Amino acid sequence: MAALRVARGLFRSCRGVQSVDYDARAVFLGARRPVCTSSSDDSADGVRKAQFADAEVQEILTRITGLDLERVFKPIKRELKPPKYKLMTDAQLEEAVLRAREQAGKLLKMPLVVPERQPIDDVLAEDTILEGMDTAKHVFTDITFSTPHRERFIVVREPSGMLRKATWEERDRLIQVYFPKEGRKLTAPPIFNEENLKVMFRQDRHEEVLNHCLVQFEPDSADFKKVHTLAFEHLEQEAKYEVLRSTRFFGPLVWYLVTRRRVDGLLTDMLQRDRLQDALSLVRLFNLVHPQSDCALQAVQQQATGLDLLKIFADCESQKSGFIKLALQTYEHSGTDIVLTAPQSKPGISAQHLQTTHGELGIPDYRSF
Amino acid sequence: MVHLSSLLLKKYHGGHVVIRMALGGATNRPFYRIVAAYNKRSRDGKCIEQLGSYDPLPNIYNEKLVGFNYDRIKYWMGCGAHPTKPVAKLLGLAGFFPLHPMTVTEAERRRKAALTESKAESEDQEEQGAE
Repeated sequence: MAALRVARGLFRSCRGVQSVDYDARAVFLGARRPVCTSSSDDSADGVRKAQFADAEVQEILTRITGLDLERVFKPIKRELKPPKYKLMTDAQLEEAVLRAREQAGKLLKMPLVVPERQPIDDVLAEDTILEGMDTAKHVFTDITFSTPHRERFIVVREPSGMLRKATWEERDRLIQVYFPKEGRKLTAPPIFNEENLKVMFRQDRHEEVLNHCLVQFEPDSADFKKVHTLAFEHLEQEAKYEVLRSTRFFGPLVWYLVTRRRVDGLLTDMLQRDRLQDALSLVRLFNLVHPQSDCALQAVQQQATGLDLLKIFADCESQKSGFIKLALQTYEHSGTDIVLTAPQSKPGISAQHLQTTHGELGIPDYRSF
Repeated sequence: MVHLSSLLLKKYHGGHVVIRMALGGATNRPFYRIVAAYNKRSRDGKCIEQLGSYDPLPNIYNEKLVGFNYDRIKYWMGCGAHPTKPVAKLLGLAGFFPLHPMTVTEAERRRKAALTESKAESEDQEEQGAE
């Protein structure tokens, strides 16, 4: 029965996406963005800090996210259709499960975490002789189909005669006018107001909101960052990490917490759910991101692995060291055989995926999904 | 019926390609497509290629939206197409062409008109005040 249910879920997902009035399909389609390189950021000491897009970091994050098939292929709201049943041998079922795992890996591709964009205020010409020519401004967009959106020329001629480059908000709006993307509106829908966001968070619908946010905003815009910050802060306060586990936003959530050194809640949650491997990966990630911290230096000195890593972390960094030490003691005394295997190389995100096709900025063309 | 061939202008006697605005839209709501067409064709008739659009009515952000396919405009200009005056003015405002002299002249005329209006208003107010 369970196998049948899983198989049904697989086929529902592997079929073509159905049309639906609300953005579910657009969110599904548009919510896939490729990962790309971000600019390197050396710390003041000359030691290279780990970035979000590093292969090692991505590996750790994908491992922590987990792959709960039931969760990934949860039925999306679509038109009602009777389910299809297929009769399969065991071998065929295994094949189908493998294919489903690959598909789930693709669906779980993490959205970009890039630094916030700098505002554009570039003036191309100041023709004051044109003053008083018109009461409205003229906005000129380059609608050449083959240019990537990031390189498009969008200029504004003000009534004062000044010719300037368009701001980021104007750019997003005009690109949506001339090259509309499915699911994206010209003005941000009211769901992204603070009060409405809070309502959604109270109902534990973080994933929906974040998917919608992905479709609506660019990953380096202020609104995108704001929505993500609010969502992650709420989850951190309520300690509801399970809401985002095995979704594509778990990686960014972990990255957010690790860069702000607030890993305690997540670590305790993992230990409570007996996810020791995940906890170790988390500490390893922390050491990667903060190579100058006490924890990282001691770990390197002692070449610690396994439970020792956790002990060092509990001593140095965490505020809930008591709880972590207790949990570690129970693991030791219970005598369970914890197999601490080396991380296997996953076919998920490799250096090839980090290459892009256009643009010196290295940011891919968002039209290609 | 004029004999037309899209590639060889020799057969189209005396004609040339123009980049001009074709009017569309509805009553009291104009909308222009910027279009490469033979000059003998009707204004809104069959064009060779659409190169952009121009919306003369400002939107809620007080913007008049103009779209130009610069790549293709360059191609047609290279083929010897003539832009009309309004298209040349728009391209001048966009910075693609140098500024059209009539744009500057119009701006000056408007400023003068605005000055005389404000002077006339202030004189009227003075007269009313004196009364």
